[in-house]
Amino acid sequence: MPVQGAGGAALACALALAAAAADLNGPMSSRPRPAASGAGMVAAPDGAGEAFDVNKLFAGTCGWCHSSGGRKAGRGPQLMDTRLTDAEIIARIKAGKTGAMPSFGSAFSDDQLQAIVRYIRGLKPEGAPQ
Amino acid sequence: MSKMKMRMSRFAALALVASATLASAARAADVDHRRLVDADKNPADWLTYHGTYRSWHYSGLDQINAGNVNRLKVAWLHATPKSTRGLQSFPLVADGILYYSGSYNQVFALDGASGDLVWAYKQKLDDDLVSKQTHSPYNRGIALGPGSIFMGTLDGKLVALDQRTGKLKWETPLVDSKKLTVGFTGAPLFVNGKVIIGAQGGEWPYRGPIFGVDAATGKLAWTFFTVGGTDENDPARKTWGGDSMKTGGGGGWMAGGYDPKTNTVYWGTANPAPLYDWGGAEWKTKGARPGDNLYTTSVIALDPDTGKLKSYHQELPHDAWDFDSAVGEFVMLERGGKEYIVHPNKGGFVFVYDRNLKVQNVWRGVKNINFVKDIDPKTGELVGRRDMAEGKHEALCPYIAGGYSWNAGSYNPGTGLYYKVGNEWCMDLEVVKTTPVLEPMAQLNIGSNFTVLKTTPDGGKARGHVTARDPLTGALKWQVDFAEPPLASLLSTKGNLVFVPDARGYLRALDARTGKELWRHNNGQGHNGGIISYMAKGRQYVAVATGWGGLAGDDYKVLYGEPFASMPTDQGALVVFGL
Repeated sequence: MPVQGAGGAALACALALAAAAADLNGPMSSRPRPAASGAGMVAAPDGAGEAFDVNKLFAGTCGWCHSSGGRKAGRGPQLMDTRLTDAEIIARIKAGKTGAMPSFGSAFSDDQLQAIVRYIRGLKPEGAPQ
Repeated sequence: MSKMKMRMSRFAALALVASATLASAARAADVDHRRLVDADKNPADWLTYHGTYRSWHYSGLDQINAGNVNRLKVAWLHATPKSTRGLQSFPLVADGILYYSGSYNQVFALDGASGDLVWAYKQKLDDDLVSKQTHSPYNRGIALGPGSIFMGTLDGKLVALDQRTGKLKWETPLVDSKKLTVGFTGAPLFVNGKVIIGAQGGEWPYRGPIFGVDAATGKLAWTFFTVGGTDENDPARKTWGGDSMKTGGGGGWMAGGYDPKTNTVYWGTANPAPLYDWGGAEWKTKGARPGDNLYTTSVIALDPDTGKLKSYHQELPHDAWDFDSAVGEFVMLERGGKEYIVHPNKGGFVFVYDRNLKVQNVWRGVKNINFVKDIDPKTGELVGRRDMAEGKHEALCPYIAGGYSWNAGSYNPGTGLYYKVGNEWCMDLEVVKTTPVLEPMAQLNIGSNFTVLKTTPDGGKARGHVTARDPLTGALKWQVDFAEPPLASLLSTKGNLVFVPDARGYLRALDARTGKELWRHNNGQGHNGGIISYMAKGRQYVAVATGWGGLAGDDYKVLYGEPFASMPTDQGALVVFGL
């Protein structure tokens, strides 16, 4: 179970993803991946073949601007407790914002976008009970 | 005066203007190798990104000086259209005509005395691609060559414009930006018939190339891969474990320097990817990219004709902190019959080399450093590395934006001092095991979640300073503290002045000898670009890029609140001052 980093939040996120991510061939890898064999199987232990893990997505890409995995404002706004609707979050990810956020276009499947939204909705302050 | 005489007089005046214009145009077509090598003999011009090949960011003009700078006023300004992320570029001047670039690869040629537009150029870009880029759409500078202006584009091309008309002469695709997301934002360097430019890359899973292109034809002459080198037998490839070389990052996103005596180009290379490596202390054999990761976070010496590597020094073997070597200028100095190169690294240390890149000294320019305990001043070896394994880590110093950022310092031969902005700031981070995103197009590969801190371990606040130091020893002459680190380049002049464009919007003139502030002017928005001085129609001017919104400046909203919270990030203007 590749739950790295942010402890319970990541764990909750990974479990949610396991249940939701029908398409595991997301943008976290360039190679074909083995199909998931069950709801508990989220990812292989290392490198290519990993499932879509939003915590890792933040640590790889989104965290450049959204600090502490989206929990704090940084170069970009805090995502925890955002007032944006789910649809607005998804629209912003797809279209970006000139001079502030790159557009990710069709980089994510609908399921992956939903997983990102769930991750953001599930964010809790560092150290808070998850 | 009779009508005939008046006509004759007007005719003569027109003829004079026309001949002066033609002469200017004719001379402007001659920014050739010789003129660039001798650039410091004609301080009226500012011909390269770093001023001259010596990279001093110094003006030999003294019409504006410590005695009269209090009379400095705005002479003219040029509003830059579509200044998304402000104006980050460096103007160039040849024969009284000023050239500068703006966001979305716009270029303008202006009369240096009046600001009147001579021509404007806008590159046709792949808008869909640009919208997908993180480090975009700014451009940080252009290069002048014989009859041409050279610019790297956001979508991976090098273009040449006719210096007199602004018309496109050629464009050469160099980077597959559709696939790799990144392109060019840094200035090229023209050297003896070649245009040299480095790609972005440190945060992206690629091999960070530097290119040499024939200036006359646009034909690619050579490519140097900063990750693993170009030659298949390059021993650097053995410094990348597994397949990590294929996604190693690197690049060379700022303009380098040149030594005409030995015909050597010096370039600073960017960090490897991912920036933070979960291998921790076992980085030699484990983690994302086991090994030293040559030639990332290095200074390299290249033959400009062939792109062959002459020598190198890796400033941070296996950089695990994103403190790349791309940021620093290559200040060429001579002292006591010996030749030196002074090169700041993003980690906050300054390396002093001989011209073969052998370490002569290393000194620290900022106080809050803990990514290493020290760097051996004799060998350049890192002492007491702080390698961070997977998990949380507190107060890593400096912050990811660097103890030194890409804004250039200035060396003044009159005072013998090197002026440089230093940043005192730190961050908490959580190192996370990531996998490079390669499809459908490459994305950032950072390897951590991080948060900038408002305080520093020395009990202070996140802050900055401008220091005047001996460039070889680092001995401090004076220091001026800033509540917020200035993010623009510095200019020193023969008039005993150091100009500091600060983050809040003030352009300040300090006495180069003492640091005492002699003059300031509020430009109304932060500075995040270049500053030069030049001569046009017999008058000295100082031109500074204004406009806020760079990646480092984006942090200021959180760190400092106002005026940064409400400062525009889509405005830019070149503001020009004269007496």
